Amino acid sequence: MLEMFEYDFMQRAFVAGIIIAVLASVSGTFVVLKRYSMISETLAHSALVGVAVGLVGGFNPLWMAVLFAIISAWLIEYLRSAFSLYSDAVLAILLSGSLAAAVIIVSIGGAFNNSLFSYLFGSILSVSSEDVVTIAIFGTLSLGALLFFSKELYFIAYDEEVAQTSGIKVNFLNFLLVSVVAVIIALSIRVVGSLLIGALMIIPSVSALQFRVGFLKTVIISLIFGLFSVVSGMTLSFYFSLPSGATIVLCVLVIFIISLIINRK
Amino acid sequence: MKFNLPIFDIKNLTFIVKGQRILSNISLEIFRSEYIAIIGPNGGGKTTLIRMLLGLEKPTTGEVKIYGKKLSNFKEWHKIGYVPQRASHVDSSFPATVLDIVKMGRTSQRGFFSSFSETDKKLVYDAMAKMDILDLKDKMIGTLSGGQRQRAMIARALASKPEILILDEPNTGVDAASQKNFYALLRKLNKEDKITIVFITHDIGVIADDIARLFTINEKAIICNNPKQLLSCQEMSELYGIDAHLLHNHKHEH
Repeated sequence: MLEMFEYDFMQRAFVAGIIIAVLASVSGTFVVLKRYSMISETLAHSALVGVAVGLVGGFNPLWMAVLFAIISAWLIEYLRSAFSLYSDAVLAILLSGSLAAAVIIVSIGGAFNNSLFSYLFGSILSVSSEDVVTIAIFGTLSLGALLFFSKELYFIAYDEEVAQTSGIKVNFLNFLLVSVVAVIIALSIRVVGSLLIGALMIIPSVSALQFRVGFLKTVIISLIFGLFSVVSGMTLSFYFSLPSGATIVLCVLVIFIISLIINRK
Repeated sequence: MKFNLPIFDIKNLTFIVKGQRILSNISLEIFRSEYIAIIGPNGGGKTTLIRMLLGLEKPTTGEVKIYGKKLSNFKEWHKIGYVPQRASHVDSSFPATVLDIVKMGRTSQRGFFSSFSETDKKLVYDAMAKMDILDLKDKMIGTLSGGQRQRAMIARALASKPEILILDEPNTGVDAASQKNFYALLRKLNKEDKITIVFITHDIGVIADDIARLFTINEKAIICNNPKQLLSCQEMSELYGIDAHLLHNHKHEH
């Protein structure tokens, strides 16, 4: 079992994976409660544009992914509030547009297909020490922001208008939440991949909600599910030579199905 | 009752959206400890007016002042408790106990880097006691009846220790027995705790004895300083599509 930790790349992948599991499951709870699940998919595709720009332009792809995901998150919030557009339509438009932009950029740059593939589906082999440090720093800041405003974000998720009339800065906190989610998604695509990170963010929270307990317990259950999925997924990935992101997502899917069965009415 | 400054001072308020005039030139004042009922036909602009008082909508023209301040300069939102129309309808899977919901009422008043204090806790428990839901505090909000949810939402509003309570038809989906208790509670909050109450309702006949003034909103506003007299006012029926005789009978049925 511990044989895999003899490899440096596995040590790095586990550290990065555990940080991402914590970030994705905690932020995912707020995203799900705000009926905003699709934002994770859209931001993951926007992060991919950043990766493409990084690969073609010679910049750090992870940093560029963070930058583009944040810009996309702000654009989503702006379009939602400034125009009479349905939220899901805004997300669908930006998702398709981002993917198209990423493909065009990579196509123009050429010869980056293998690198891009690892960002699409995740690769534990590709997690560098620099990535781990970046994930740890930005992850701590993101988690800190979420925990600091957790009561306000919880109130907003329950009833945005009443939260606003009680004096809570709803617009600021909505922007903060999507920004933090953007950062978390961009950090995660190294390990889980942009096509699969949405699942790691949403499914643990949806599974936890099946237990119908209070908010704090829901977050804790979501956290346990996220951590279990990442650890078991990476372990299976190592011993059976499976793609890490897909294996993690299948593990969390199994948890979801079990949660549904256990909590069947 | 009117020798103090108005809490809400609304002047020449007009709201036009997509070419449709919702409110026209409305001016009114609401004073401390008043119990105001707002009636009018559906689509007449009652909820829009309330949303403007709360800063949720911006008027096309006109001005709203709270405690003498423009809405944009007003910071003491904890003085206002708001119970929206959909109060008794909640997402049954939302992970919240009754205690979680009532604690939300204290969220905006916690300081930076501070959690809920003993004072917050006391106000939350006092609000639950007042609404008689202490025994429900650990129940999930989605498992409660409409009347119990309504009481939880009002407890949340009371936890902020408001001076004004604004309620937008909170009785939707609530059974008749719970409604009766609810009206008694509003009376008590107004008479004993001196909380100003602004209440959108269709059940004007039931609370006619409690209210100080009645605002009838149907794009324009008619202010009635003697609600009992208004109940028999034929003019109101004709102008605003509200059957005053039905309202009158409704009162006696209860």
